[in-house]
Amino acid sequence: MSSVRTTYVKVIAVWAITLAALYAFQVYFSR
Amino acid sequence: MSAIDWTIIGLYLAWIVWDGIRMSRDTGKIEGYFLASKSLPWWAVGLSVMATQLSAITMTSSTGQGYADGIGLLQQYYALPIAMIIISVTFVPFFRNANIYTAYEYLERRFDARVRSMTALLFLFSRGMGTGVVISAPAVVLSVLIGADISTICVLLAVPTAIYTMYGGVQAVAWTDVKQMYLIVFGLVAATVTLVTGLPDSISVTDALTLAGTAGKLQAFNFSTDPSVRFTFWTGTLGALFLFLSYFGTDQSQVQRYLTAKSDAEAQTSLFMSAYWKIPLQALVMIIGVLMFVFYLFTPPPMLFNSVHEQRVRASARAGEYAGLEQRFTAAVDARSAAAQQLAQAERLGDSTAIAAQQAAFRDSEAQVKGVRTEAVALVKDVTGDRSYNDVNYVFPTYIVTQMPVGLIGLLMAAIFAAAMSSIAGELSALATSTVMDFYRRWVRSDADDAHLLRVSRFAMLFWALFASVVAIWAAELGSLIEVVNRFGSFFYGSILGVFLLAIGWSRANAIGALVGLVAGMSVVAYFTLYTNVAFLWHNLIGAVVVFVVGMIVSEVTGPRKA
Repeated sequence: MSSVRTTYVKVIAVWAITLAALYAFQVYFSR
Repeated sequence: MSAIDWTIIGLYLAWIVWDGIRMSRDTGKIEGYFLASKSLPWWAVGLSVMATQLSAITMTSSTGQGYADGIGLLQQYYALPIAMIIISVTFVPFFRNANIYTAYEYLERRFDARVRSMTALLFLFSRGMGTGVVISAPAVVLSVLIGADISTICVLLAVPTAIYTMYGGVQAVAWTDVKQMYLIVFGLVAATVTLVTGLPDSISVTDALTLAGTAGKLQAFNFSTDPSVRFTFWTGTLGALFLFLSYFGTDQSQVQRYLTAKSDAEAQTSLFMSAYWKIPLQALVMIIGVLMFVFYLFTPPPMLFNSVHEQRVRASARAGEYAGLEQRFTAAVDARSAAAQQLAQAERLGDSTAIAAQQAAFRDSEAQVKGVRTEAVALVKDVTGDRSYNDVNYVFPTYIVTQMPVGLIGLLMAAIFAAAMSSIAGELSALATSTVMDFYRRWVRSDADDAHLLRVSRFAMLFWALFASVVAIWAAELGSLIEVVNRFGSFFYGSILGVFLLAIGWSRANAIGALVGLVAGMSVVAYFTLYTNVAFLWHNLIGAVVVFVVGMIVSEVTGPRKA
């Protein structure tokens, strides 16, 4: 995989993790 | 504010003007002035992109919205990383390989001069107006703090920015953006630390967030499919995707940034800085609002945060009514504070029955506080005639001035100034570039040398600084500032994006198709704005799709040729 594609995958992975963390944050503190 | 804080603000203003002038290189040539001779490193471009987008409105209005409504606004930024990937694949190589000064220049090569001029004109109008709104946010803040006239403050804020931008061009803008971004992040972190340390000893950070969650302030995801709801997961991922594609892909204030990078790869990397950091940074801004909400659970807040309006109501014939509201407000705040303490206590003990009871009591008292505040705001509107008054814009500035220590107040105020100036500078530079390259050089003096164009560019910047200052005074009369900016943008953004998508994505598209599509797109968005309650973030998607589809059909009917 080229370095540019690797960067795109990294951006999407970080994005998905960020949104998942925010969702977990919402669920945990909004019981 | 103390003399120390005013001195800090004064030093900041003097230093940023000096630094902007100091960092300018090669500004005797038009390529150096507008494109920094394509010499900037990716990290400087990346920070400049972020600083231009993060305005004082983010610092004041977004924190206020966090205080009043929670972090739901954050959803508006969820599509940004995806937009950055799409832009780095499509727009960045297109623009950089075309060797252009403005995004609209590309449209003349693809279609004709009319399409270029029309899109550039829309940019100048909408961005000129938007810059005015960006100036008015800190002006409103300072007018309440020092009781000065808003128009005076607007000019005072715009002039230093205009000086270093006029002198140093895009290099001054980019390098001052870098320093301003450091100051903004420092200010946000300092505010967070102050808020956390200002909580009562019996309330931990976990307690604070649990209280905020119970009050519904931590709803980072709203999956409602109601198109009239402004901030949902769907408006944030679909509607806002088109907003960001248009803003970062076709708006000269952003395109100009990545045209200054050393190479395509550095331009793309600079965009990924926003992709990684924009959501966390915006989350920090919203959390500051939420922490202010928790702070004011235990420290009695003012019923209204705009002290100027409050004084006018107290001096009016309805002062008695206001005093009655204040009595009810004080009682509701006391009840809410007690309920918050009891809920935190129940949470620590883990008693599920007590937790449920205290949660209900806390939510009920919070609803009462909100209800009284709503009545107070309505009273202010009646007495002052300010129908668009929005108290949330004053929450964070009031917190800074009344709760933060001397020194930090000055630094936070300087950070708000930095946020405003970095955005204003970027916009002034882009407005001047488009004015000179898309209109003056294109239609008036195509043979002008660099020295002449530089003189005209500096005059154009001065003109736009004055124009934006006048708009700022008018914009201060409108409602919640962040929505005003986005409304201005959404009216044109989607349609302009549609023209670029047509240019890049439909090889048989022609100038007639682009022009008819553009008019159709803006007409449809105008209809949705005026006659429906569809949330404004959807307008970007609607505009882009209408322009693309109509442009495609008209191009097919009229033939694959230039008009």
